[in-house]
Amino acid sequence: MNSLFGNFTHFEALLFFALVVSLTFAFLSKRGNKERVKYTLWAFLAFLLVAIGIGWLMYPFSQ
Amino acid sequence: MKREALKGNQMMGIVAAIAGWLVPGLGHLVLRRWSKAAVYFLCVGGLACVGLAMRGGIFGAGAEDMFDRLGFFADLGAGVFYFLAHQIQAAGPDVAHATGDYGTRLFAAAGMLNILTVLEAYDIGRGGESR
Repeated sequence: MNSLFGNFTHFEALLFFALVVSLTFAFLSKRGNKERVKYTLWAFLAFLLVAIGIGWLMYPFSQ
Repeated sequence: MKREALKGNQMMGIVAAIAGWLVPGLGHLVLRRWSKAAVYFLCVGGLACVGLAMRGGIFGAGAEDMFDRLGFFADLGAGVFYFLAHQIQAAGPDVAHATGDYGTRLFAAAGMLNILTVLEAYDIGRGGESR
């Protein structure tokens, strides 16, 4: 398991975190499989968009 | 499978909450919410195990500053994964590298996520509205 996950990049860790948290939030807040799938996809994409957006905004400060 | 309704009460809520804290998803299993139990166990357990595999740090009870104390409470939320962290993570933490630092966050997130599922299990157990 260490060799599989031990070398996760920041982005891979973000993808995994976003997927797992989105799925859990969907089951916590929605009823019915269709609603849950829709919510999981929406939250997953929102996590990615916000993370990439914030990363892009912070990029000039890393120079 | 048709779900059999359980009549909720305060005691059932407390039992479900404690079970759900000890083993993620167990509270929902007690309440016969099979799919939620499986998803919560896999998600919280997956997040915790990946955090440990990335050699994330685990906060101990004897933390001195406020952030470490908050980290301890977040980690403690993962229940059995917190208590078995040192067995699962045989190599020990390595937060000197970025991957270990991400692992620390993933494990804390697993604990916080489990606290949310525990609150839901308590609510369902005492007869509250459930999704």
